[in-house]
Amino acid sequence: MEAPVLDIDPYATDVLKNPYPFHEELRETGPVALIKPHGVYAVGRHVEASEVLNDPVRFTASGGIGIQDIRKPGEFRVPNRLLENDPPSHTNIRGVLSRLLSPIVIRGWREQFESEAKKVVAQIVEMGEFDGVENLAEEYVLRVFPDALGVKLPRKNVLAIGEMRFNQSGPQNELYRIAMEKAQPYLEWFESSTQRENVTPGSISETLFVCEDKGEIEPGIASNMVRSFIGGGTDSTITGIGHTLNLLAQNPDQWAELKANPNKVKSAFEEALRMETPFQVTYRTTTGETELSGVRLEPDTKIGVFLGAANRDPRKWPNPDKFDVSRDTAGIHVGFGVGAHICIGQMIARLEAEAILRAVVEAVDRLEPAGAPRFRPINQMRQLDYLPLRAISG
Amino acid sequence: MPKVTFINPDETRVELEVPVGTSLMRAATAHGLDGIVGDCGGGLTCATCHVLVQEEFLPNTPSMTPNEEQMLDFTAMGRQINSRLSCQLVMTEELDGLTVRIADPQL
Repeated sequence: MEAPVLDIDPYATDVLKNPYPFHEELRETGPVALIKPHGVYAVGRHVEASEVLNDPVRFTASGGIGIQDIRKPGEFRVPNRLLENDPPSHTNIRGVLSRLLSPIVIRGWREQFESEAKKVVAQIVEMGEFDGVENLAEEYVLRVFPDALGVKLPRKNVLAIGEMRFNQSGPQNELYRIAMEKAQPYLEWFESSTQRENVTPGSISETLFVCEDKGEIEPGIASNMVRSFIGGGTDSTITGIGHTLNLLAQNPDQWAELKANPNKVKSAFEEALRMETPFQVTYRTTTGETELSGVRLEPDTKIGVFLGAANRDPRKWPNPDKFDVSRDTAGIHVGFGVGAHICIGQMIARLEAEAILRAVVEAVDRLEPAGAPRFRPINQMRQLDYLPLRAISG
Repeated sequence: MPKVTFINPDETRVELEVPVGTSLMRAATAHGLDGIVGDCGGGLTCATCHVLVQEEFLPNTPSMTPNEEQMLDFTAMGRQINSRLSCQLVMTEELDGLTVRIADPQL
């Protein structure tokens, strides 16, 4: 069977602002569909999402994880050596990074992360009404993450760079052009802030350069990896925490569940990543002609794995649109990806989320919406822009 | 259905029926065995589902991936000769009767 054709642009602004009708069409069109406006394949069901991401032989990451094939003339850019690479060449560098970001290292940050969380929560309790994105999620992540990594990340700079990078992995649409333009003033800063002389001595980032000296990773890629960490650990964690707060404010019964059992903050975060997946889509490229669930696929063609769609696939999840903090989702939702490229910093994101959410649950009696949340359309992301909330205590 | 016995850090024993194809980590967390944390849900990034496999069963356990090999070095208890991450121990008929000790601490 040839792939059924779906004539929807996943990157149209109205689709990005509310991707769920598109996700449903994608899942129901077939196990894989051809997205007509872009000439790429797409999957939105959980089974096929896992199959594509678990098989680098049929579906390579070396063509880039965005919609463009980075190997093609006109699209060429330097590949990300961690993400846009397949095993076995990927395995060595992944191993070095896994050691630098090991659970032992991350556990060592807990006390600091928890104490900063309490300070940030004290501020929002004082404010009463606040923006859950800027005053809580951004404020917190940008306090703890750059220090842990050993880089300096001024808010304006890092947000502009993030917006550029996560639009860049989509098609060259208006969002892409505007984000590129907005990021121009910060490009030089971004380049230099990830060079050896500008990272904190003794930090993980500096260790990467030491690994480079020792020949454990190829020369010249340490700063490429520091940029990866910044890209992977900023916008997605901020918005993941934001989505959790939003869903808790909108579901008072689930908030009550956390008040009764604060240990559930961890599963609340996982469930929010399932419901509102920060990284919406990642691409692979077919290596040769192949078949996926009975559909014939052309060689050398991009295939988008819509993680957010797989995370609400009714074939996998009973009542998929219900936010349920008691649902067992960690390692089953594909919000952190699947397979060899599964998010390497996921335990950092979890530690941050657990610390800040626990501090909120402990200090706040009721968390309520104080207006309608606003989403920021970004080609690759499901991102909150503004989240007005009210925290009531005592 | 094949059975697995978990020995808790306080020496109490819990026997669970584990369906073929289900990992010991999922079985343990689904039954509320607190000693198995399993924060990452089997993604081989947290090293908090550490168990010590009774040695006679070691030959029947699946071989280790390089990723599991590496993560065992990052367990809180420290690696023992019979250490495994229980998310990687997927139940088979051959593992019926398996006994594992839950490592302590996990975090």
